[in-house]
Order: sequence, then structure tokens, then C-alpha cells
Amino acid sequence: MNINTPIEEREFKIVGKSVKRDDVLEKVTGEAEYTGDVKLAGMLHGKIKRAAIAHARIKSIDVSKALAYPGVKAVLTHENVPRVLHYGSPHPRSASCTKDQYILDDKVRFWGEGVAAIAATSEEIADEALDLIEVEYEALPAVFEPEDAALPGAPLIHDVGPGGNLVLDPVRVNRGDVEAGFAQADFILEGTFSGGRPHPAYMEPNVCIADWDGSNKLTFWTSTQSSFMVRGILAEVLGLPLTKVRVLVDHMGGGFGAKQDCFQHEFLCALLAKETRRPVKMEFTRHETFVAGRARHPCRIWLKQGFKNDGTLVARDMKLVYDSGAYGSHGPGVTIVGTTAATSLYRCENVRLEGRCLYTNTPINGAFRGYGVVQSYYPLDIQMDEAAERLGMDPAELKLKNVVRAGDIAPSGHPIVGHGLEICLQHGIDVLDWKSIRNRDRTPDPKRPHIRKGWGTGCEMHGSSAYPGIKEQGNATVKVNEDGTVTLLTGAAGLGTGAHTALAQIVAEELGVRFEDVGVIHGDTDVVPWDIGAFASHTTYLVGTAAKMAATKVRASVLERAAMKLQVKAEELDLTDGQVFVTAEPGRFMSVAEAMGPSRGIPAANIVANGTYEPTKSYSFAAHFTEVDVDMETGIVEVKRVVPVHDIGRVIHPIAAQGQIEGGIQQGIGHTLTEDYIIDKKTGRSLNAGLVDYKMPLSMDMPDIETIILEAAPDPGGPWGAKGVGEDPIIAIGPSIANAIYDAIGVRFHHYPITPEDILKALREKGA
Amino acid sequence: MKRIVELTINGEPRDMTVETCCSLLDALRDDVGLTGTKKGCDVGDCGACTVIVDGQPVNACLMLAVEAEGRTVETIEGLQPGVDVLHPLQDAFMRHGASQCGFCTPGILMMAKKLLDDNPRPTDEDIRFGLSGNICRCTGYTKIFDAIKSAALEMEAARS
Repeated sequence: MNINTPIEEREFKIVGKSVKRDDVLEKVTGEAEYTGDVKLAGMLHGKIKRAAIAHARIKSIDVSKALAYPGVKAVLTHENVPRVLHYGSPHPRSASCTKDQYILDDKVRFWGEGVAAIAATSEEIADEALDLIEVEYEALPAVFEPEDAALPGAPLIHDVGPGGNLVLDPVRVNRGDVEAGFAQADFILEGTFSGGRPHPAYMEPNVCIADWDGSNKLTFWTSTQSSFMVRGILAEVLGLPLTKVRVLVDHMGGGFGAKQDCFQHEFLCALLAKETRRPVKMEFTRHETFVAGRARHPCRIWLKQGFKNDGTLVARDMKLVYDSGAYGSHGPGVTIVGTTAATSLYRCENVRLEGRCLYTNTPINGAFRGYGVVQSYYPLDIQMDEAAERLGMDPAELKLKNVVRAGDIAPSGHPIVGHGLEICLQHGIDVLDWKSIRNRDRTPDPKRPHIRKGWGTGCEMHGSSAYPGIKEQGNATVKVNEDGTVTLLTGAAGLGTGAHTALAQIVAEELGVRFEDVGVIHGDTDVVPWDIGAFASHTTYLVGTAAKMAATKVRASVLERAAMKLQVKAEELDLTDGQVFVTAEPGRFMSVAEAMGPSRGIPAANIVANGTYEPTKSYSFAAHFTEVDVDMETGIVEVKRVVPVHDIGRVIHPIAAQGQIEGGIQQGIGHTLTEDYIIDKKTGRSLNAGLVDYKMPLSMDMPDIETIILEAAPDPGGPWGAKGVGEDPIIAIGPSIANAIYDAIGVRFHHYPITPEDILKALREKGA
Repeated sequence: MKRIVELTINGEPRDMTVETCCSLLDALRDDVGLTGTKKGCDVGDCGACTVIVDGQPVNACLMLAVEAEGRTVETIEGLQPGVDVLHPLQDAFMRHGASQCGFCTPGILMMAKKLLDDNPRPTDEDIRFGLSGNICRCTGYTKIFDAIKSAALEMEAARS
């Protein structure tokens, strides 16, 4: 349940300050240990044989030559690994997963899928031996587009699931009466939209190391956002109790959501280590990170909305189709979240939504920052701009009129507590003097006559948890040591967001000690309390509240101990900056160290408490204002300036929060203009699985970003009203760019990425 | 075939026994044990493995270890001027939040060091251009630009 007490107002000592992040010291010195830096004695190297065909049955597989190759220690195929049907993303508290994969199968479902694995004494030997594995395939007809997969008679990719290549039954949401809504409308807008296949392209390729000990216990280092999920699924598939799997992850080089599956290579690495009785490391190449990683679900969306002449939205009818790729992975979650999200953002009483997710013979799509909502809010926001034009209104004003307000029913089914979106939009309109931007002189600069300038807005809202799809649980253990220092144990992953620093700030603030006195232990499933994983923008909201709850408890115990030593009642004491003092008599005090340490007749103490929190949901909001230059000769769009205005409730660490927003904008610019992981529609082969051909915005491409964070609508569910921030920025930036391009050149685009070729073609068609 | 390569790493004479096909990156990480230099792509696209060889920044994944014979190599592990003393860039990266996941950080710090060594008063454009071979996927670069500008000012102040 959510904590529904009023948000405590106080003067903060540590929360709200950009304290130095401890983990960053290790990162700037090169000492931070990532999974790929771990080296064990006798370690072998694992490699995966990948299919060069998109859909096929394996007729035979001959590994004799590979096994005989000097240095090769083991080869695994579907014939000698356990055959256990399992989930790709088995969030243990989720109801929306699809069990559709085996470690290795006698069937190939996408180009690049693993069909065998080798452990050898070096990476080079393992690589060479891959070529010696002989696989004979019986090719099957393949489908590469969800529309084709949905056709009657389309080749079936899986035997499981609802059939017809559906990953899950269609998700339907009905509120109000859509037909009656359209009947009231003064005009109706209808359009089809589509989104490409952006890849998270985190800097650290997937990597894991497996090591078994004599008691048949598996120790498993892996770059994951969800170490307990990996523990659970490895144990289930390998037939082990949870006590026999220990998952370790210290630093990780990004994930952005995509490192929350249990991947094929992780099972294979564990099995190769078991087979050889030696540690095995398996590290993806950059190419494999694309092919066998997880991308955002491509989508096709049809949207029809009815408006009144005063700008009121009276009906919304929307059909969404997501491409899951060859396996379910996060397809169900993305479809449910993305579809239900479209009930909201812009208020409308009559809504009919239908979301489908289909298997295709393409690489697997998974979780990625903005989880289904990037796709569904892009059309909602662009169509709002179209309606504004039809009405002769300023798009920001029309959005302001229609944005969700407090008390409206959120996608989660709960009334929204804060209504930060209205405040964000209004703030941006005010600080930018938006009206004068809209009414500016649009004559091109005579020195650069081929450049057209445009401004656009985009809005978003996003939950600070995965509720109700996943019923999360946050846990924290706080220990006060005998010298007055404090240890926080958390299962939350260190993706690089600064989550551990924020958690330590929360503990220090609540307990009343210095930030420097709080140490954080994480990344070892044998040691830290259970954690659901770092996703859904929820770590600060969820684990932060659990940590605050644990800190409240240890604080009370510290005060009781000090009361005993000071010979007063605990209620008479206060604790701040690591000093316990008598509230009415501040001259009488002792340090937490003195309270905890030994004194005559009183032995030293250790105090431990746990916090467990099961939240519902809060929402964060943002409005982005974006300026672009469109080059009429080359079709190149340059994003010049972005003013993102975010409401994320109470800010714990301002610089880290800004960093999330600015990084999300970078990725969102890429998704909207240049990034698309392209799969050949004839063969299913990846065409740009590398960092040169997959174009991301780099240092030369970044606009000026003037981040504004408003603590507009704190939510009682988070620590002192804190909400999530990780996913929000990537959602709002996309439509703000698309709308700015329209403002610049008068051409509407309903898809992403909007490439220079698209722009030149559209300008030619327009006759410009 | 293995060969012994003699070189200077972070000011110290070292030797490495490496296969002739081994990259400088793999030699540094696996043979010398300097894992601060990261492998993000192994084909020269991302800049995570940037080290400085004889004063020039290179992608260590694109240079053979045997080519480093007799040369001077600087890596992230040598950036600190002393134990417990950070290079102004390292300190500025911490203060400004210029490192998130940190995987690109060692390469970017080495590239930034080279940039400031050559050009103590870089313009914004100089900094953007200087980092154009280093991919950062977390920060949007904004905090990295701030940190480099701030370090440049501090280094300038320290000199005068």
C-alpha cells in the first residue's frame, strides 16, 4: 500500500544537495570493477554459434570437428542442454510474462539466434571453433513485419501463446462511450503512425562469468539490472534451490532497461562452466549486443480523435501494434503499459484502445526506457498539434487546456495525486515567452537562406513504478555500527544513475547523520535484501521509501540508547548531524558514536532494522520545448535548443536528476532523427549492428539543454514526495522535435526516425 | 607466436608477453592488469579504450600491442598526479556529474587531458570537436562539457 500521510515539510541537510557520488570516484580513477574486468584463475572463454537464417528447423548439428579443435573444452547444443520452457523476463511479481523460450531449441526464430556454444582456453580459439560446427537447416517461411505475422496462414513462430503469432491476447481498454463521443465532435482527426527500432546501445556489452564450487553452488557475475531475477530464473531452469545461485554485479556500464532479461548467453555460460568445471566468461561483441540484445518494440498505431470547437477532446479511438521480435520478452508488459498509457496524458472521457503484440522473425525486443509509452504518446502529442492548427490555436495552449489534472483517473486506474503537467507547461510558456516565439518573424536569415527554424512542444507523464502490472516490493536493511557509522544494504542495481548515492542521502537525512558516514553495500544476492530490479523509474521512489522506513526505525533505537546514557527520555531527544541532544537543552548532547560505543556497564551496540515497501503509483510529468533548424537542401535536422521542464516531486540529488533528463534527451533525439536498428525485410539479417552504422547523437550533435526541474507535485508515496525521473525525458522529446519540424517546414511526419531522406522527399512532394 | 614488448606505461618501464595479433587494449587489460581502459566495441567506433601513446590519443583496440614497443603509454590509472590527489579533470567530473555509468569515462578523461594539454583555453566548439570520437550514452554530454570547462579554468588559475 502507498503511504498516505501528508508529506513532511522540513529543512533538509542532505536531501536536495548534489553531494559527491562515491561510485564516481572509482569511475574517474579507473578502479571501478565492471563484470568484464573480473578475471578468475583457469577461466575459459565462451562463444555462441549464431544462425545465419531467420526461421528454420535444425535438421542436424555436428560438433565433432569443433570438439576436436585444440583448446576447445566443451560444446553445447540443443541435444545436450536441459529442455526447460522458460520466461525471458520473469519478474516474479508480474502477471504478464510469456513462457516461450528454451536455452537452445531445435528451431531458429531469428537471424543471429544462438544454436550452439563453445568454451575454450581463449576467445580466439572459441571463435575459430565456431566455424567448425556444422549445422544443417530446413528453412521455414519467415515473417518480418507484424502485419504479415497477423495474416491468416502466416507461418507460426511459436507453438505457445494465444495463436496467430500473438504474444498475448489483445489488450482492450474501454472508458465511456466512444461512439457517443464522436457524435458530439465538431471535427475528427485520424492518422496512422509508426516507430522504428531504436537500440539502447549501452556502452558496456553484455558480459557474464560463471563459476561452480564443489558444493554445486553457482557464483554468477553478470551485468544486469535485476540480479534477483537472474538468480530466480537460473535456479528454476537449472533445477537449483535459490541458496545455490549467487549473483554478483558491482558497477555496470548502462542498461536503460534492456539488461533486465535473463539472456540465452547467461544460461549457456553457466552450463559451460558446469560442464568444464572451470570458470567461464562470456562477453558479447558490439555486433552481438545488437543482434542478441534487446531493442525498443517497433510499432504501428492508428489514432482517431474527436474534438469540439473549443478544443475539448471528446473521443479517442486507438489501435496499437507492437513488434515483439522472435520472443515474448517484455512484449506483454510493453503492450499493456503502452496501451493503457493512452487513456491519459490528454484528458478524454470516451476512450477505446486496443493493443496487440506479434511475434516476427526478427531480433528480440525488450524493455527500454519509456517502455511502450514512447510509442503511444508520440501520436497523441502530434495529433494535438494538428488539432491546434485546425482550431487556429497555439498548440501549447491547447495542450494546457487538455492535460490531465489532479483526480483524473491515471492509466493505473488510480486518481492522479499531483497535476504537475499543467505547471510544467505553463512554466515553459512563461520562461520562454512562448507567445513571442510563436509570433516571431519567420523570414529566413539572409546569410543562411536554406535554413528554416521551428519550435515545438511535447508532453509526457510516466509512472514511478510498474504498478499495477508488477506489484513491486522495495527492501532495505540499515545497520548502525558501534562507531556510529551506518551501513545500508540494498539490492538495487548501480546502473550509473546515482541511485546508491540517493539512497544513502535518504538514510543520512532521516537518521540524522552525515552523508559521509553512510556506506552502501549492494550487488550480492547472498548478502543484500531481495530486490525486484532497477527499472520503471522506481528505485528512489520504491527502495528510497524502504530505506527511509528502515532509517526511521534505527533512529528510534539510537535515541533510546542515547536516552539511557544521558538519563533522559528518548522523546526528549533529537538527532542531527550525527549528534544526539536534549531538545530543550541543546548543551546536553553526545555523538551517535558515543551512543553506540561502550561506556561503563554498557557494552557497544549494533542496531539493525529493515524497511519493506509495497507502493501503488505516482506519476512524474514533463513538457519539452524544442528548437530545430531544418536544412532545406540536405534535409538535415539540427536540434538547437531544448528546454525540458520536469516535475519529479522532491529532488534528492539535483545534478543526478538533471543528468537523467539530459541523457534521456540525447537518446530521444537519436530515436526521433537518426537511430533505427534495421532488419532486412527479405532475409531478417541485421544491416547496421555497429556503432558507426547505427547513428547516435554524439558531442557535436547535442543541443543546448536548459533543464528546469520543478518540485511541483510531490507524491506522498515517495520519500518526502520524491518521484521517478529516469524514463520521462525520452518520451516528451520525440513529439516536441516532430512538432518543431512541422513548425519549420510545414510538413507533418507521423513516424520516427525522421531522416534527411524523408524530409527531402516530403519537400519535393510539397513542391518546396 | 608470442613476443616480449618493452614499453613505458604511466611512467614505469614494463614488459608484456603478447601474441602478435593481440591489441594494445587486450594487452593492457589482460596482461598488464590495467582494466580501467574499457572495451566498448573493439573496432575503433566508441572511444572507450582511448589511451595516449607518445602524446597522441589512440583507440587501444586498433593498435597492436607489438606496435607499442619502445613507446610511452598513458592510461587512466596514471592520470592521478599522486595517491589521494585527483587530476583537476577527475575532480571536475565528480563535481559536475559528468560520469553516470562510467564506462566511457576513462576514455573521455584521457581525451580531455590531451585536449587541455594542447589547448588550455578551449572554446565550447573545441571541446565538442575534441570529444567527437568518444561515445557517451548516459549524460547527453552536457555535464561533461561543464566539467572540462571548469577543469580548464582551475588549471589555468593554478598556473598563474
